[in-house]
Amino acid sequence: MAPRAFNNFFAKHYKKHPFFLQVFLFLFPFVFFPLIDKNIYHIDLMTNVGIYVLLAMGLNVVVGFAGLLNLGYAAFFAIGAYTYALLNIHWGISFWIGLPLAGLLSMFFGLVIGIPSMRVRGDYLAITTLGFGEIIRIAFNNLDAWTGGPNGLLGIDRPAIGPWRFSVNPTPYFYLALFLVAVTAYLLFRMSDSKIGRALVAIREDELAASCMGIPTLKVKLYAFGLSSFIAGVAGALFASKQTIITPDSFDFVLSVLILAMVVLGGMGNIWGSALGALVLGVLPEVLRGFASYRMLIFGIIVILMMSFRPQGILGGQLIRRELNSRHKEAGDAAS
Amino acid sequence: MAPQVELFLQQLLNGLTIGMVYALIALGYTMVYGVIQLINFAHGDVFMVGAYLALSVIWLFMSFLPGASFLVMLLAVFILSMLGAALLGGAIEKIAYKPLRHSPKLTALITSIGVSFFLQNAVMLLVGSREQGVPEVVPTTRFNLGAFSFSLIQLIIFATALSLMFFLTWFVKSTKLGKAMRASSENMDAALLMGISVNRVIRATFAIGSALAAVGGALFCMYYGSINFHDGYLAGLKAFTAAVFGGIGSIPGAMLGGILLGVFEALGAGYISSEWKDVFAFLLLGAVLLFKPSGILGENLPEKV
Amino acid sequence: MKSFFRVLGLLSAVLLFCGAGDKNEDVVYIGAAGPFTGDHAYAGVGMLQGVQMAVEDANIKGPVFGNTKVKLLSLDDQHSPAQAVLASHKFVANPDVVGVVGHFNSSCTMPTSAIYHEARLVHITPASSNPEISRQGFDTFFRVCATDDIQGPAAALFAFSKLGVRKIAIIDDRTTYGHGLAMEFEKKFRELGGEILSRDGVTQGEKDFTPLLTKIKSERPELIFFGGIYPEFSLLIKGSKKLGLESPWMGGDGVYDVVLIKLATPKFAEGTYATMLGADPRAVPEAKDFVARYEARYGEIGSFSTYGYDAANVLIEAIRRAGTKDRAAVLREVRSTKDFRGVLGLINFDEKGDVVGQSIGIYKVENGKFVFIEEAKP
Repeated sequence: MAPRAFNNFFAKHYKKHPFFLQVFLFLFPFVFFPLIDKNIYHIDLMTNVGIYVLLAMGLNVVVGFAGLLNLGYAAFFAIGAYTYALLNIHWGISFWIGLPLAGLLSMFFGLVIGIPSMRVRGDYLAITTLGFGEIIRIAFNNLDAWTGGPNGLLGIDRPAIGPWRFSVNPTPYFYLALFLVAVTAYLLFRMSDSKIGRALVAIREDELAASCMGIPTLKVKLYAFGLSSFIAGVAGALFASKQTIITPDSFDFVLSVLILAMVVLGGMGNIWGSALGALVLGVLPEVLRGFASYRMLIFGIIVILMMSFRPQGILGGQLIRRELNSRHKEAGDAAS
Repeated sequence: MAPQVELFLQQLLNGLTIGMVYALIALGYTMVYGVIQLINFAHGDVFMVGAYLALSVIWLFMSFLPGASFLVMLLAVFILSMLGAALLGGAIEKIAYKPLRHSPKLTALITSIGVSFFLQNAVMLLVGSREQGVPEVVPTTRFNLGAFSFSLIQLIIFATALSLMFFLTWFVKSTKLGKAMRASSENMDAALLMGISVNRVIRATFAIGSALAAVGGALFCMYYGSINFHDGYLAGLKAFTAAVFGGIGSIPGAMLGGILLGVFEALGAGYISSEWKDVFAFLLLGAVLLFKPSGILGENLPEKV
Repeated sequence: MKSFFRVLGLLSAVLLFCGAGDKNEDVVYIGAAGPFTGDHAYAGVGMLQGVQMAVEDANIKGPVFGNTKVKLLSLDDQHSPAQAVLASHKFVANPDVVGVVGHFNSSCTMPTSAIYHEARLVHITPASSNPEISRQGFDTFFRVCATDDIQGPAAALFAFSKLGVRKIAIIDDRTTYGHGLAMEFEKKFRELGGEILSRDGVTQGEKDFTPLLTKIKSERPELIFFGGIYPEFSLLIKGSKKLGLESPWMGGDGVYDVVLIKLATPKFAEGTYATMLGADPRAVPEAKDFVARYEARYGEIGSFSTYGYDAANVLIEAIRRAGTKDRAAVLREVRSTKDFRGVLGLINFDEKGDVVGQSIGIYKVENGKFVFIEEAKP
C-alpha cells in the first residue's frame, strides 16, 4: 500500500477509535512477552505488575481525576479478594462469576464509605479513608469465623476454562491480567473523554465553580469512588485466585501508600502514567534486591523528591501543570 | 468501694494517662493545621524520634552520671529531647514543606507521607527493628487512694502534660510569637500585611509542636518501658483523630480530644474488647466527622466564596 | 508515534531482564528465604545465619561432590506472601538451585510449598509451625521444627497437670502464629477439664495493655497464657506486675528469647514459663560447640539459628549422597534421611514431612535466666 494511503487509513480510524488503537498498540506487544522470555520468575513479576497497574489505574480515578485523596485503597482490594475467596470456598462459585461479584461488593463499600466522606473537607477525607482501611484490615483479622482471622483463607480455587484449570504457572494469569488491564484502560479513556470525566476534572479544579455550573458534585464524586473501588475489587479477586491463600497482612496501609506513590509517580490524572508508575515501583524492589533493607527509605525519598521537583509525575497530568503554573503567576511569592 | 466502681475508676485512670500523651501529640497536629492547613503525617514519627532521644539521654546518664538524682535526669531528658525534636521539626519544615507552600494541598500531604516513611525507616536502619527496652528510671512507688492505686510515673505524666498545656495556652495568648501564631492561623494574608514574618511563625509552630510531641515520646517510652520504630505511626494516627475530634485548629480542642480519646479507648478495651481497640478510635473519628465535622470545640467555618 | 517509541523502549528494558542464567557446572545452590529485612528481620536473619554457617562448614570440608561446591542464594520475602511467591518462582527458575530452606512465616511457607511441589524442588522449613502446611500432602515439603498442634497441647498439659491450674486466661496477638498456638492450647486445656475465664486478643505493636490487664485482674486467673512474640509479652508481663496482677504468665517459643527477660526486667519476669520447640542449644552439652562457633562469627544466637543450620545440613547431606544436581535425586535422598545427627538430636521425617519425635521443652525464668524444667510429653 502506498504510504500515503496507509496514513489516511490509519488517521481516519485513529480519529474514530483513538482510545482503542492506543490501548491496543501499547499493550498488544506484551502478548509476546511470555513467549520470548520463558523465565517464570519474570512472568510472575510482570503479572504482579499487572495487578498493580489495575490498582493504580483505579486509584487514579479518585486521586488523579477527582482530586480526592483515598488512603485506604488497600481495603477495597482486600474486600474484592475476600469476597471471591468466601464465595468460592463456601458456595463453590467459579472465578468468572466471582470476579464481577467481587467488583460489585467492593463498589458497594466504596459507595458506603463515599457518602459520609463527601461531607468532609478534602484533607479529612484522607484520614477517614485511612481509618476505613485500618478498620477493614483489623476486622478481617479479628472475625475468625468469617474470614479465618490471621490465618486467612486457604484453598481458593484457581480459574478454570472448561476442564482446564490454571496452576502455579503464572503465564495464564499474566494474560488474564493483561486482558483486564486493557479493558480497564479502554474504559477509563472513554470515561475521561465523557461528560462524567470532564465533570470530575471540573470538580477537582474548583468544586464550587463546578457546582455553580450545575454539576451534581456529590453524585459525580460518588461515581468516582464507586468505579475506583470496583476496579480494586476485580484486582482483588484476581490476586486471590493467584495466591490461593489470602491473609489480612497483605492488605495494609503500606500497600495503600505504595499504590498512591505509583499514581503520583506516573502523573496524577494520566492513565498511562499510572501504568508506568506501577511498572516502575513494581519492578524496582526486585531490581534493587541488594538494597532491600533500604527499600522503604528509598521509597520515601522518591515521594519527597517527586513532589518537590516534579509533582505532575513522569508523564505529567495536564491540568495539574496548568494549575501549578497559574499558582506561581499569582502573587504567590509575595509571602517569601 | 464496690469492685465494679473500683474497676471503672482504674480503667478511667488508664485512659486519662494515655490520653495525656495523645493530647501532647495532638497539639502539634492542630497547631500546624491551624497555620498552614497541612496534616503533617510525619508528626507521629517525630514523637517516635523524641522517644529515642529520651532513651539516649537516659543511657548517657546511666553510663556517665549514675549518681545523678532522678529529677535532674528527668529534666535533662525533657529538655534535650525537646531541643532535638524542635530542630528536627524545623528542618523538616524547611526542607520538605516550605518549597511546597504554594502547591496544591494534595502535594504537601503526599510529601508528608514520604517524610513519615523516610523517618521511620531511617530510625529502623539506625537502631534496628527490635523492640528497645527502656531502663526503669522512675521509682516504682505507688500511691494508694483507698483501694485503687496509681504510680509515680502516671503522676509525672499528668503533671508534665498539664503544665505544658497551661504553658502553651499562656504562650499563645500573651507572647508576641504566640499572638503571631494565632493571627496567622486566623488569616495568613492579613497577618502578612500586618508585618508578621509568616515564615518564622510557621517554622516556630513546627518546632513547638515537635517539642511537645517529644515530651509525649519521652513520657511514653518511660511509661511502657519499651519503644520501637513503628510506634509513631499508630500513636500519630490516634492523636490526629483526637485533634479532629476536639476541633482541628483549636488548642484546647486538641487537649480535650486527646484526653477523651484515651478514655474512650481504655473503656472500650476494658469493657468491650481489646482486639478492636484501634477500631474504636477510627469509629469515633467517623462519627465525629459525620455529625459534627468541626469537632467538639471547633467553629463551624462556612466556606467562603 | 510517541506511544510507539515508549513501547519500544519499554520492551527493550524488559528484554534486558531476560537471559536466563547458564547452567554453572561448579556450583550448586541452596536457596534460603525469609524476612531478612523489615520488622521481622531479627528472627529471619538469625535463621539465615544458621544456614550460612552450614554452607560455610560444608565448604571447609571441600567440594560436596566432584568439583562442585555448594553456595547460598538468599531471597528476602519481608514476610509478605506475595513477595514469598515471587521469590519461590525465582528459585524454581534457577536451574542451579536444588533445594530451599524457608520460609519463616507460615503465611509465606503455605503458598510457596505448592510452587516448590510443582517444580519438584525440595522445600525444608526451619520455623513455620502451622500444621496445615504438611497436611497438604506435598512430598517435597519437610519441616525440622515442631508444629503448633504439638506445642500448644503440650503446654496445656503441663499447666493442667504439673502446675495444677484450673482457671486461666488466654491472650493472643492475632497473628497466624500466635492465634494458632493459643487455639491449640485452649482446645487441649478445655479437653482436660480446665476453665477459660477470658479469651482476648491484642494487636502487634500495641503498647498499652492496662485496660485489658485491669479487666483480667478482676477475674483472678491462676495462670495467663499468651500466644505471640516477646515484644508484646514483655509489656504484658510488666504491665501486669505494675498493676498488682500476680498470676504467672506462660508463652510459646515466640517469647523464648533472652531479650524478653531484659525488656520485662528480671524482677518482673521471674516465674514466667515458656515452651520451646526442641531443647535450648545453650542447655544441651553437644550443642555447646555449635553455639560457641556461631557466637564467635555472628554474635548472639537467634532462636531459629539451630533450625536453619540443621535444615541446611539435611539438604547438604542429601546433595552429597545424591552426587548430582538433579532435583529429583536430591529429593529422593532427603526423603530417605534416617537418623540425621542434628545439633539438638536425631532428625527423622514422617510421611507428611514433619520431624518425628518433636520434643517440646518447658522453661521457667529463675534468677533472671531461662531454666530448663522438663520435657513436655504431648
